[in-house]
Amino acid sequence: MIFVKYLLFLLVIISSSLFAQKSETLIPKDAVTVFSINNINLLQKISIDELISYEFMEEIHQELFDGSTNGKTLKDAGLDFDQKLNIFYGKLDKCELSGFTFGIKNKEQLFTVFDDFEAVSYPNLNGAVVYESFFNNLIVKNGVALLIRVEPSMDHIDEVTDSIWYARGNENPYDYMIENEDESVLNEKIYDENTQVENSFPDATLDPNEKNYNELRDSVQLVLQREQLEKILNQLFIQNDNLMRFDPRFEAQLLHPVEGVFYMDNARNIDKSSGLWYFQTVLPSLYKNIQELYAGNLILGDLRLKEKSVEFAIEVLYGEKLGSIYMDMNDSHFDNQVLKYIPEYSSGFFTYNINLRKAYEKAFEVIMPLLEQEKNAQVAMNVLTIELLNEFVNKDALFGSYKGSMFGTFNGIKKIKTKKIEFFYDEDTFEYGEREAEAEEDMPIVTIGFSIDRNDIPEKVLRHLARLTSKVKNMGDYWRFDNAIFDAAPLYMINKNGLFIFTNDEDLALNHVLGYGSISINNAKFKNAKKSGFMYALLDVKTTLIRFPKDLLSPNQNEMIESLRGKSGSIELKSSKTSKEKTSLNLTYSFSGNEQTGKHLLDLINTIYVVSK
Amino acid sequence: MDELTIHDDGSGTLKYAINLSSSRVKVNSILALDSLDGKKVPNIDEIKTKVQLFKKTLALQNGISGVSVLENYTDFIFKFECNFTNIDLLQEGLRKSFSIISNEKTISESNFSWLSWDSKVLKRSIPSIATDKLKNFTDIDLALLKTGTYTSITRFDNPVVRFENPLSKLSKDKKALMLRTDTYSLKEKQSLLENTIYLFSN
Repeated sequence: MIFVKYLLFLLVIISSSLFAQKSETLIPKDAVTVFSINNINLLQKISIDELISYEFMEEIHQELFDGSTNGKTLKDAGLDFDQKLNIFYGKLDKCELSGFTFGIKNKEQLFTVFDDFEAVSYPNLNGAVVYESFFNNLIVKNGVALLIRVEPSMDHIDEVTDSIWYARGNENPYDYMIENEDESVLNEKIYDENTQVENSFPDATLDPNEKNYNELRDSVQLVLQREQLEKILNQLFIQNDNLMRFDPRFEAQLLHPVEGVFYMDNARNIDKSSGLWYFQTVLPSLYKNIQELYAGNLILGDLRLKEKSVEFAIEVLYGEKLGSIYMDMNDSHFDNQVLKYIPEYSSGFFTYNINLRKAYEKAFEVIMPLLEQEKNAQVAMNVLTIELLNEFVNKDALFGSYKGSMFGTFNGIKKIKTKKIEFFYDEDTFEYGEREAEAEEDMPIVTIGFSIDRNDIPEKVLRHLARLTSKVKNMGDYWRFDNAIFDAAPLYMINKNGLFIFTNDEDLALNHVLGYGSISINNAKFKNAKKSGFMYALLDVKTTLIRFPKDLLSPNQNEMIESLRGKSGSIELKSSKTSKEKTSLNLTYSFSGNEQTGKHLLDLINTIYVVSK
Repeated sequence: MDELTIHDDGSGTLKYAINLSSSRVKVNSILALDSLDGKKVPNIDEIKTKVQLFKKTLALQNGISGVSVLENYTDFIFKFECNFTNIDLLQEGLRKSFSIISNEKTISESNFSWLSWDSKVLKRSIPSIATDKLKNFTDIDLALLKTGTYTSITRFDNPVVRFENPLSKLSKDKKALMLRTDTYSLKEKQSLLENTIYLFSN
């Protein structure tokens, strides 16, 4: 009897640990990008205010950035640090979803942070309790929580709103707005029945609660939001359908004994890409072929924390057809010459080593049959054009001019000489005049070079350009294009050693046209770059990111750089040999100083988030 | 640089020039962006359209004539000039025109009241709409502000008897005053260009 009791007790313990809800089980199956942090103990000391300053937290900013988090750390937020913290994002045809899932240790503490949420009654969700705030939804069940935001796409909201608006017999709200500029709000107006129109609109309803266009649009947005949320919550809590069940590759990734994992289903990203609407609607069979080509396209990553570094191992998986193109593309010999043009003092450089000709031939072999199947006149004409170009174009000359391999360096900021117009004043009359004077401006010194077999072709182009404009000059060992950069600084072109190089570095053009010799990068860096697969990059965080001018980057690039500003150490990106199934990449962020490892982890996650969003 | 000429009857000419030629690389690099600090960066065509709108709007204002704007998009130098029948109409005309081109209906009169004239005394400062913009400069921009200059010239028909800003310099014929400062100092102390000028009256 005692044995049976023990057995029952043991069964209860085992079953409760087996079936206890885990935070990862609340990730919706429609999530296409997920970061899962296994060891969130590392984040215990991070203050919540610091955490919400990251871009990847921006969706729940409004909830937390209201003073309720002052002086608190994640430890004070009632989180269960034995559970994973999962950050997800997904894009569907008609909406976007984003959010977090996490374990709860102390619900009371949690609601001191999420103090804007209120419990709402919701149709049965198998015991899950739904809380709502103005922007987000928090669902709690068995010690785990899902914080989710669902945003219907603007196009879908407009489509539904317009459909209701016109069905009610209203005029075009925008035309109406132009005619009545003083009217700040557009009120519904019954279409003028006396106007001669062939297809008259139905009368608007006589509902006294009729809304103006913008109010109607807000209501539509709310209804669509609720509809989508309900669908997702039903999947999760009624059908027990989640990303782990949907994609075993994600489930397997979660088992990796690392500090964090990353998952991005590129095949579904392609599927939901609004840029492909033309193919989806006009050329459905071609779209299906594109989908097949991208089938199995997945990026998986492992985040490892070491004492002085964060390592991010990425595996890019793809299907056989795409893999065959990538394999041929990466079947290329490393061009040793490029390393001669990277100086040891360079703050950052990359090498990119591919065989464009082989990639072209394989792509031609794989993609053309797909295009040929399409019974569409426009596609057929395009196929014919491509076939003819393939026959007539001199591919030796084309791929001899651009083989596909390249390198780039950032050698810091230098003062460059420019011209300015100066106002000067007569000291007696204060009449002023203008004169040209020399000026100096800061400019990042960047070099980009391409491997080339046919160096006679760019030489021919430059020779003819020099006849057309005096700005292009042959300087013997190099060519100079005056005022080519922002109409102020010269661009130098070097055609030596099987490389065609563009640079704004006067020192390289004047003194190192054959390479930097003894001051080029050291042997260790040389070997690392050479051993790496199709890509290698190394940058010194402090000297590259701090010095790189903000003005020269796009907002997205700036966000990424901002997330690393103030840091020190180096970032190294290596790639493996490409196989038919996958390519592996390794990103290592080595840091110095005594900053918390958890903070570096968040910095890296943030950088990846900014890059991938 | 601004140059204000006031005749005895209160009419005159305002000239205003912006010279960004020493920052051509920076200006061109900003123009190459879609947005900066969360704000859309206009392209040159949009700037030209805005300038034309300003020119046309100002020319329609009461008491304003001879409006011209010279635009040099190679060196980024812009020169504005207009005649006015009196200072109040000039300030009101500028306020209305800025309000229209900036779509800011709330620009108050005080923001565009930087001149007062009673035929013997001229009081001048800088419109607060300009100084308010200076406050928004970030630390990164501050170093660049130190290399910029602002010159303010005021010309009269009659000689100047005295002036209150000790940084002013009087011309040889005593009919013009010049004030020069760097843009960083102007940001730090916006009263630097304030002056009260007393004229000799016949």
